[in-house]
Amino acid sequence: MSQATIPLPKAMTAQDPAAAAANARKRKRFSRAFYWLCVAIASVSVVVLAVLLVSIGVQGHSRLSSDLIQHSHSELEPEQSGMRPAVIGSLFVCVCCATAALPLGIGTAIFLEEFKPKSKVLRLLHSFIQLNIANLAGVPSIVFGLLGLSVFVHMFGVFGTIQVNKPSGWELFGVEHYYQLLSLEPGQTILVPQTVVNQTTIKIDGPVEGIDADGNSFMIQTWDRKSGPKPDTREARMRTIKAGAVGGSYSKHAWYYFRLPFGKSFLAAGLTLSLVILPVIIIASQEALRSVSPSLREASLGLGATQWQTTRDVSLPAALPGIMTGAILAMGRAIGEAAPVLVVLGAAVAKNTGPENLMDSVVTMPVLIFNWAGRPQDVYQQLAAAAIIVLLVVLLALNSVAIYVRQKVQSP
Amino acid sequence: MPPTQPLGLPRALQKREFRSTSAGEFRERCVVVFLAACGLTTVLITAGIMVMLITQSWNFFSSEFVSPREFLTGSEWTALQSKDLKDAKFGIWPLLSGTLRVTVIAMVIALPLGLITAIYLSEFASPRIRSVLKPTLEIIAGIPTVVLGYFAILVISPSLQWLTAGAFDTFNATSAGIAVGILCLPMVCSLSEDAMRAVPSALREGAYGLGCTPFETSVKVVVPAALSGIVSAFLLAFSRAIGETMVVALAAGTRATATLDPRQQSQTMTGFIVEMIKSENEYGTVQYFSLYAVAITLFTITFGMTLLGQMIRRRYQESYQ
Amino acid sequence: MSVEPTISDASISRAIQPVTGNESNSRETATASTSLIQIGNLSAYYGDFQAIHSLSIEIPRNKVTAFIGPSGCGKSTLLRWINRMNDIVPGAHATGTLTMGDLDILSPATDVVSLRRKVGIVFQKPNPFPKSIFDNVAFGPRLHMRLNKSELNELVEWSLRKAAVWEEVKDRLQKPALGLSGGQQQRLCIARAIAVGPEVLLMDEPCSALDPSSTLAIEDLMDELRNQYTIVIVTHNMQQASRCSDKTAFFFEGKLVEFGETERLFTKPKHKQTEDYVRGRFG
Repeated sequence: MSQATIPLPKAMTAQDPAAAAANARKRKRFSRAFYWLCVAIASVSVVVLAVLLVSIGVQGHSRLSSDLIQHSHSELEPEQSGMRPAVIGSLFVCVCCATAALPLGIGTAIFLEEFKPKSKVLRLLHSFIQLNIANLAGVPSIVFGLLGLSVFVHMFGVFGTIQVNKPSGWELFGVEHYYQLLSLEPGQTILVPQTVVNQTTIKIDGPVEGIDADGNSFMIQTWDRKSGPKPDTREARMRTIKAGAVGGSYSKHAWYYFRLPFGKSFLAAGLTLSLVILPVIIIASQEALRSVSPSLREASLGLGATQWQTTRDVSLPAALPGIMTGAILAMGRAIGEAAPVLVVLGAAVAKNTGPENLMDSVVTMPVLIFNWAGRPQDVYQQLAAAAIIVLLVVLLALNSVAIYVRQKVQSP
Repeated sequence: MPPTQPLGLPRALQKREFRSTSAGEFRERCVVVFLAACGLTTVLITAGIMVMLITQSWNFFSSEFVSPREFLTGSEWTALQSKDLKDAKFGIWPLLSGTLRVTVIAMVIALPLGLITAIYLSEFASPRIRSVLKPTLEIIAGIPTVVLGYFAILVISPSLQWLTAGAFDTFNATSAGIAVGILCLPMVCSLSEDAMRAVPSALREGAYGLGCTPFETSVKVVVPAALSGIVSAFLLAFSRAIGETMVVALAAGTRATATLDPRQQSQTMTGFIVEMIKSENEYGTVQYFSLYAVAITLFTITFGMTLLGQMIRRRYQESYQ
Repeated sequence: MSVEPTISDASISRAIQPVTGNESNSRETATASTSLIQIGNLSAYYGDFQAIHSLSIEIPRNKVTAFIGPSGCGKSTLLRWINRMNDIVPGAHATGTLTMGDLDILSPATDVVSLRRKVGIVFQKPNPFPKSIFDNVAFGPRLHMRLNKSELNELVEWSLRKAAVWEEVKDRLQKPALGLSGGQQQRLCIARAIAVGPEVLLMDEPCSALDPSSTLAIEDLMDELRNQYTIVIVTHNMQQASRCSDKTAFFFEGKLVEFGETERLFTKPKHKQTEDYVRGRFG
């Protein structure tokens, strides 16, 4: 049968123009309806965000005062509570996190993007590392918290466990151990340097060398009822103790106190958070490096530069804005993470200053919010809302910096 | 413009002294070793997670009061409530059902809404609308999870109670689920939108040329063409919802029951871990180590989903040349 | 330029095999001192795909040699093997010999870094770094040489003069290089390449992205540069090849078809294929 004699199918000959037009109209109406559905659903996001911001603003604005930033949390007077230690704590934790995560993350990204492997073994290693990073990005942050607990806080128990005010773990420098004794002057204490490591208390019978509040050493005088009246001058009383007094352990830490294991310190929290944001930084830096035009790399290699020289002088400068944007956004994520910090440092918010030494614990803003939000009293609910406003303002400032950097790139 | 007289060689080229490259090679090798060490750190982290989870949960499973069979099939979980180890029940299903309830509700919200918002952004929205909608989604994505948890107790729970005249508990799985859904929506939307934008416009032109309506083009041509990316996005969002901690710790409650009722309190796996960490007086007991058993279950589930998502993306990724 | 050099015994004994199927090849060989780059039996692959088939050619010193041929004939591949640029392409490998005097270019033991200093390259699309004009030219010298400030300034000025772009940029050396026009950028790339004092300049279709007046400027430049450098240029533009080069090699499907003095190759080609190509009957 030739082409010309194949009969037309019925679908083509039996066309009903009216039905076709009706069908087209119906489909177009359906399409319009779908379009409006899309608009409605897309605006849900905007509405939700607006409701969220407004409701939190309404709840918390009454507590927004300078007191909030200057005071610290108070159990006894909730009305006076503030979040100053939390802001400082968040700052310390973030700086520690950035110092650990940025070099590691950017270094890994450079390794994966710039030093492309040639041999089969290295190529397997590359794809293994790449796969690994993608998997780490999906791990819940609380699991990282548990990892930080084992690795940084306890260090697998290798260095012993931490006890308060007693020598514990492996203390490298910055601490001095004393026994603390009450002097005859009410409210003044005398410190006696601790010589025996495991002895937790000391009983003073005879004259012993002690240290006063300014660090000067002197001989402690003992006094008991039998020997006569109490010394009359204040200074003498400050240097005298009751005979047979017992002093307990006390430790003085310098700011550079360093000990292994880290225990519940802001260092442990910062390092744990750096694990959480490491995959984010790596992926963002890889994207930035990938966006550098290969012709620039070719030009550099063609001039006889080595791969590292090319990376250092051509790829990195070109990718730097993208890397910085990614780093800033990752920091924003780290500031808002509560779960890992909760696991590592606990939920206590009683601290009223920032960290006093390297091994000191801190309160961070999200942990504080979690603590306050979990309390039923209205005061704390409002305080939580106010703290959220402060946190959101900080994040907004951070994101604005990132957007500014990104825009500066696109129109240099 | 050719120069009028020949140029003399500059001193630099007359000297012809070049840096030795052997020192450069050594330096190059050192740099590569350092960078490779950075890369291997990530492998170390994964290894560390697995070692930690296995060794610590071994403390739980090796106890005589715990049987793996009870763990996997039991329907009561009383780790926090029982002081006496003999009475404690360690069946994982209450926690799993809590997680499941919250996650399913979250996905019911995030997946359809996220996908349709993505369709709107990639197929219909004008640049002006995009400039409003995209930043909105980025902001939602950047909100810390504690804030969303607080929003759940502040607005969502009371609204649910008001709407249904008290049928919901103060802490319930639905409020937490809605908040987690809001959390995951930007992720679903941006990943799906990326997948849809990668579909070449030639396909869309073909569909329009055949007389398709915009609805038919987007739903019958573009979405199937971007399917692997969309499915991968769904899996990633699911994994994120399962691992979410702060929202459920604030809004979902602390009672672990193996029920499917979304109106009741529910404790998820992550919520339990937080509770157990907070109760410091239990450190060192078998009850305490049960949190690691829960953590390893959680990790296995999320890890498996991420791997599955990657396999789907790798195997089914459409490439349009 | 119309005398045909003869094939000498010495050059045959350097194991240059005839290209299969082209027995009356006019593979011009010169005496050892005037041939700078010797290519023998070179076969190049991208993975399993063979881009160059057993090719032998000698590039003469201080002359402009043009590689012409239709797309995909392997001329760019050959060019990029001369300075091992193909190292960055995964799966690219080659067999045969490729030497520059005593230097075995293909050997893995060769120091690629100093090879690329001796053999510079200019690409099809101008690719100045997003740095200042001065930093672009100084990039190579800073890597390879130890210079004080005045030596570096002198070198940069000399390179820019030699590349015939000094007058246009001398007042804005610190401004971004990307602010220059296409033709100026390409001349800047040439200045950048000669700043490290190479012996050979490879040019991969340097004018194909430029407008006619910039093209003319660069062709004039090549005329000047040939006195100091050996230039190998790949070009699609036959008129350019006939204008600028001393010798021309015509490639087809990875094989060298004909190599000879440019004037003769274009007026009295020995092979029909060559004749068809230069008359524009294909490609």
